[in-house]
Amino acid sequence: MTSSVRFNICLLLSVFFLLFHAAAAGQDPKPKPENTISAHLGEPVPAQKFANPPKFWISDVIDRSGNPQPMLVLKERGGIFLDRQPTVIVREALEESLKAANLLATDANSADLVLKIYLFQFGLSQGSQLDFFGKVEFTVMVKNPKSGESLEVKAAGTSIAKTAMLKKNIQKNVQDDVEESLRDAVRNFLHGQQLKDAVGVLRKSMNAAPVTTPNP
Amino acid sequence: MRIGIRMLMVALLLVCSGAAAKGKDVTPQFKTAEAKHFTQAEGVELSPAFGDYFYAELREELKKAKLAGEVIGEGETVDDADAPQSIFITGTITEYKKGSVVKSTLIGFGAGMRSLKMDADVLRRSDNQHLSVVHVHVKIDPRWNEKTMAKFAAHQMVKEIKESMKNQAK
Repeated sequence: MTSSVRFNICLLLSVFFLLFHAAAAGQDPKPKPENTISAHLGEPVPAQKFANPPKFWISDVIDRSGNPQPMLVLKERGGIFLDRQPTVIVREALEESLKAANLLATDANSADLVLKIYLFQFGLSQGSQLDFFGKVEFTVMVKNPKSGESLEVKAAGTSIAKTAMLKKNIQKNVQDDVEESLRDAVRNFLHGQQLKDAVGVLRKSMNAAPVTTPNP
Repeated sequence: MRIGIRMLMVALLLVCSGAAAKGKDVTPQFKTAEAKHFTQAEGVELSPAFGDYFYAELREELKKAKLAGEVIGEGETVDDADAPQSIFITGTITEYKKGSVVKSTLIGFGAGMRSLKMDADVLRRSDNQHLSVVHVHVKIDPRWNEKTMAKFAAHQMVKEIKESMKNQAK
């Protein structure tokens, strides 16, 4: 008698557990303060040295990831969200680093070169089940506003962080991973040979362009 | 009582030796190391995501191995003064066999394993001189995904590069 009661209780509990699990799995995670992370660059990334340092201005950062939920970093375990749009985070990171290197213009009119950024990936990418694979990838159109000529510069950053069991640790590791891949991508852009070549070519064309004087 | 004191002394000795070993600073052999995305030989059917993941893993393993003071990203500039003491790693995935779960389950003893062969060249940055050529062959269970295989391959590759560099230094 007692064994059948125990069996029934176990059966009921397992049915409730399965129903609860199925209901939870069906719902999309919602952003809450406890599952939201704030990704920052931390210290600005030092830029490469230019022979004749230009002044940059970031005109636009456009999301080209095609991700319908760009702020959702991880869907599992109740979800992990970013507190700001990835485009805002990337713009802030680049502006901080350019400003620290004294390469940021005060406004668009005083800039030697204007940057338009196309963000292709921000956050976690598919890795092995043993870790988190952070990836930030963007392309920058470096434009000389005077000559109208522009060149493309690609930058990518990766990072690998350990996975964890506890939600708190998962959140910490994901945040570290995203921040590290962002830092890596900004560094890849600011230290890249492509940027050096683009600046060289565009400055040459700027010097070669005829100076237009306004007619009286 | 005596046994307890002896145990305590042994434990202290172990802790001290561990701390001494940790405190030892290993000076890296090179100033910078750059890993490039590996190319795939004709007939190799691996997803583009594999290349990205392997590149990331290779960089992580290079950082862990402390072969160079700094592991830089692909296409980054290096100061002219540091170029003779800087390396870059290029490579090709020469063969990939998907493996067979059925063969692996029924036969066992290594049959049906997923296998990956790759060659890597370590070159000096200043003059593109070959410092080392490494061949890696990794075999894993066919039930594991290709990203796990990338992890093993990157670990194996850096281990072999480090060994070959150590032999050259001798």
